[in-house]
Amino acid sequence: MADILCFSRNNATTVEQPDEETMVSSCRLQDTLTDLLVVIRVRTPHLEITDIQGEIRRSLEPETPHIHETLRKVIGVRVGPGIKKIVTGLMGKSAIEKKLVFMIGECCNGIILSFTKQVLLGAPEDKAKEREFFATMVKNSPRLYNSCAALSPESPLMDGIEPP
Amino acid sequence: MLTFSRNKLVSIYRRDEGILLVRGILEDDIYGMEVVVSITLPDLEIVSIQGKWTRMENSECPRAVPFLQEAVGFHLLEEGFRQRVQKTVGRKSCRHFANILMECCDAAVDAASVIRVEAERGGKNNLPLKDSLGAENENAKDPIQAGEDLEPEMAKPVEADSVEGLVIDLHVHTSEASPCSSAPLGDLVTEAKRIGLDGICLTDHNHVWDPKTLAELRQRHDFLILRGNEIATDQGDMLVFGFDEDIKEVMRLDELRRKVLKTGGFIIAAHPFRGFLTFGIGQLGLTPEKAMERPLFQHVDAVEVLNSKVSDKENHFSSQAAAGLGLPGTGGSDAHEVEEVGVYATRFSDTITNEEELVEALKGGSYSPITFRKGRGEKE
Repeated sequence: MADILCFSRNNATTVEQPDEETMVSSCRLQDTLTDLLVVIRVRTPHLEITDIQGEIRRSLEPETPHIHETLRKVIGVRVGPGIKKIVTGLMGKSAIEKKLVFMIGECCNGIILSFTKQVLLGAPEDKAKEREFFATMVKNSPRLYNSCAALSPESPLMDGIEPP
Repeated sequence: MLTFSRNKLVSIYRRDEGILLVRGILEDDIYGMEVVVSITLPDLEIVSIQGKWTRMENSECPRAVPFLQEAVGFHLLEEGFRQRVQKTVGRKSCRHFANILMECCDAAVDAASVIRVEAERGGKNNLPLKDSLGAENENAKDPIQAGEDLEPEMAKPVEADSVEGLVIDLHVHTSEASPCSSAPLGDLVTEAKRIGLDGICLTDHNHVWDPKTLAELRQRHDFLILRGNEIATDQGDMLVFGFDEDIKEVMRLDELRRKVLKTGGFIIAAHPFRGFLTFGIGQLGLTPEKAMERPLFQHVDAVEVLNSKVSDKENHFSSQAAAGLGLPGTGGSDAHEVEEVGVYATRFSDTITNEEELVEALKGGSYSPITFRKGRGEKE
């Protein structure tokens, strides 16, 4: 039997900054069953969501007539730690809404990672300086300590670093 | 011009009648990784995971790969599956591996639905795919887990000894009522007493402790244990005191404010700038003056300006914003581990023996946030 796919999914998230005070993040999810698009607009420096648009282009799930009103509940929420819990709590719990919540999370994650990328562009090539670089990063953001295998107490990158 | 992009591709095929083979690829500006997951049909149990990096953040990222095995044996449809993946793969391995793994698992659940429905359509059932999947989705499990209520115990209420100049940790999470905490209440109290705190305030997430249970615990431990509640709102987490309503949903802060005002309670904005001055976001140019414009500050009575889960810079920033707004500042450890209790606390000049007196003291304003554990050299 040929290994024909029974299901496939593409999930693409992009972030752009059209002006100094605005960031726009979009998530497009396309799979065998579904085609969804979510676009959020965020204002800096607070990173609060100022606008959100959603589009259900294809779905086999029951229609949710008030989806645009539901999406607008997240306007005013700030992108940052804890946002997934907040968005999950504000949105409904239908199958389509759960997917949209996940996509909003992807949009927010993309915004955070766009800042992470800027920091990592400054990471030293020299391995000897790598530990110092990440030690400073953990000092500036204590929640990163022990947040993953690379930043765990057992990692050489965390050698000599006091738990926050 | 794009400043960041992430693409995830998930492909699924049936290796045989009983196994789905799921391949997920994540490529973004920072990371490149791949996972291959075998999942049983029809019970959707993860039976194997392989993962590899193609690009990574630092030289120690490969340490994440072995921890992927901790998700073997997880059932995709069991309650709390997402939280388990986040807690194991997300924290011990890498949150980006957890992200692509969850994407694979979500897709596998949908794939299994398609397979099941198509099998039924090929047999006796000829329902439209949409109707069949719609019925299945009605049974989808809620990903949010509420904290479990503790059984109330009957006991005679007692009051702790009155002490002036009390030092109370106003922000503590117990493993009994906060899924994210690893600190049993009894151990927290023992540790709090050992380091010399005068009291702790239980602020489990969206959880109301039974007053009789607390009274019994206070008597048993001969220690001041008070009730609070860390309530999730659209504007972030709020420490709420003097408010007994059991709220399990995220609510709007202005609505919470209205409710708390009716009961005469008190709201403290918990860690209001957590994650905002670090990791590149600090380059946004957020000043205390701009921060003071945030709408949340119109609805709170005080600001937590010392919290052990944020950076010193963020605590300092909170202090500046609170001072600018004329709001009092408090301190609390936000302990989720026993050894974290008392890192920060609040020193009250009033006598406090119960929750009513705590709220009165908070409203009175005669208190200050303090570094407690570090100051005593207790931190190990």
